[in-house]
Amino acid sequence: MEDNVIVRLDNCSIAFDGETVLNNLSLDIHDEEFVTLLGPSGCGKTTTLRFIGGFLTPDSGRVLFDGKDVTHVPPYKREVNTVFQRYALFPHLNVFENIAFGLRLKKVPENEIKELVGEMIELVNLRGFESRKIGAMSGGQQQRVAIARALVNKPRILLLDEPLGALDLKLRKDMQVELKRIQQQLDITFVYVTHDQEEALTMSDTVVVMNDGIIQQIGTPEDIYNEPRNAFVADFIGESNIIEGIMHEDYLVQFAGEKFKCVDKGFEKDEFVDVVVRPEDIQIVTPNKGDLWGVVKSVVFKGVHFEMLIEQAGYTWKVHSTQSAEPGAQVGLKIGPDEIHIMKRSEA
Amino acid sequence: MINKKARIAGVPYVIWMVVFIVAPLCMVAWYAFTDKSGQFTIDNISSIGQYAPVFARSIWLALIATVICLLLAFPLSYLISRMSGARQSLMIMLIMLPMWMNFLLRTYAWMTLLENNGLINRFLGLFGLGPFQMINTQGAVVLGMVYNYLPFMILPLYSIMTKIDDSIINAAKDLGANMWQVTWRVIIPLAMPGITTGITMVFVPSISTFIISRMLGGGGNILIGDLIEMQFLGNTYNPHLGSAMALVLMVIVLLCMSIANQFDDEEMEGMLL
Ligand SMILES: Nc1ncnc2c1ncn2[C@@H]1O[C@H](COP(=O)(O)OP(=O)(O)OP(=O)(O)O)[C@@H](O)[C@H]1O
Ligand SMILES: [Mg+2]
Repeated sequence: MEDNVIVRLDNCSIAFDGETVLNNLSLDIHDEEFVTLLGPSGCGKTTTLRFIGGFLTPDSGRVLFDGKDVTHVPPYKREVNTVFQRYALFPHLNVFENIAFGLRLKKVPENEIKELVGEMIELVNLRGFESRKIGAMSGGQQQRVAIARALVNKPRILLLDEPLGALDLKLRKDMQVELKRIQQQLDITFVYVTHDQEEALTMSDTVVVMNDGIIQQIGTPEDIYNEPRNAFVADFIGESNIIEGIMHEDYLVQFAGEKFKCVDKGFEKDEFVDVVVRPEDIQIVTPNKGDLWGVVKSVVFKGVHFEMLIEQAGYTWKVHSTQSAEPGAQVGLKIGPDEIHIMKRSEA
Repeated sequence: MINKKARIAGVPYVIWMVVFIVAPLCMVAWYAFTDKSGQFTIDNISSIGQYAPVFARSIWLALIATVICLLLAFPLSYLISRMSGARQSLMIMLIMLPMWMNFLLRTYAWMTLLENNGLINRFLGLFGLGPFQMINTQGAVVLGMVYNYLPFMILPLYSIMTKIDDSIINAAKDLGANMWQVTWRVIIPLAMPGITTGITMVFVPSISTFIISRMLGGGGNILIGDLIEMQFLGNTYNPHLGSAMALVLMVIVLLCMSIANQFDDEEMEGMLL
């Protein structure tokens, strides 16, 4: 893995108006990888992309391309293209000319432009729209134009800043599949920004979870989901029950007034920790068979499963199950050792 | 599609337009095509030929002034449109500031600056330079036009450029455009409506001005405006010839404007950002 790093952000920091937005951010992006920057609004995702695109120079730190320092290289000299958060298509040009923009700048011969743009239009399913004005295209179509306009330049890296943010759910899903297909077909590195965790988990090879300008965790979607490193990641990636606990010794944790076997170790004796349990990892059983027992407060049908809130000794557990229970009923909760994730208390 | 209420609301404007625009135009046309005894004639129009050099000079100087205004205003407007909100309003206020002063006064101020023993020549004299002949030259006339009408170029350019989103400019850079290419391929096409408005707003008053040429151009650089003024207020009193000149001037302006608008039409479609 080490030798095919295409972009390296090395300790990049930046502040706007005295307020630190990114703090010592370091990130390696590998060739042909689909990397997703995931985090809540304002956490610095777009700012990170702008470092890579060359629209912003970090106050300190370096941006490396193939090992070469490009921190101060302007955007038009980088082998990177961007799909902007709001597409930023040229309103004075039609679909064909929007896509051809980069090629014309490179003085590509006219017949070649026709061919390359034609291929792109094919790729993003926009045949027949060539001479349409941008204003006469729907959001989803504009989005495809933006992708084609960037890809036609054969960039080594494509930056996508919440490209699907403005689309409805159905179109989003379709485009997710389409983008993944395009990425695999063209073997281009994608750096994708989203604040939709599901989108990140579905599409990416690597997910970078950010908060407040700091990388919280880097890993495969499975890692991020199953082994969240801290309470923020656990909470942000899917719904979670996060509860305070004490790690008595390796493989033994106490929370909600009970001791549980777990699979984590390496904590200090009696260290205070955060315990994370996914709602779908809690089993509802009869009260006498449970590790914990509580009272069902509410039941909501969510399409595939029921979401239940169960109150137990002052803590409300969120449980997802395909079986429902009656509100007011007493139930037992069973949590297996594999389902218990222990993390260090976040400083906050 | 216009409903009844809208029509009634429009009546005062129609009356206004008839009384103050259509009627005077008709009178100008009537004067232009009659002689002193009220007989129809085209002598007024045909005799304008002898003033061709004045017309040519007017068009030429107005063109130069317009081009200079455009070249000055374009980068300035762009820079202002990229500033933060508070700075933008400050800059626009500074640009408007001279316009709060009387037009005659402003032009008069330039006289005292440009005179042979005016401020500029005296200042240069301190270094043993000059005196230079600055007043009563075509250069001085153009300077007066540029100085007085520059804000009319800046305002429409600025207001259209504020609508060009940063991300569109970034997109062009991202696709490989340097600042020069960004300007030609993105900013200018998108600013086209503002450019044509600005050109109109500078060219029209420039080509018809008479005060600027009188005060800064001396007797040797009279323009159409001066000619027309002389026909009405001077001792050559001849409103028929004056009207004919005004009519020809109007045709020239309309021609120039339709040329400018030609550029506009294509770009305008789908402009809504
Ligand atoms: N040019 C700027 N001047 C001042 N502050 C800025 C600037 N650009 C970004 N910021 C601030 O930096 C922080 C991070 O911005 P950024 O655009 O990177 O967020 P983001 O993660 O992309 O959010 P979103 O999901 O809403 O797009 C925000 O608080 C934003 O207000
Ligand atoms: Mg953003």
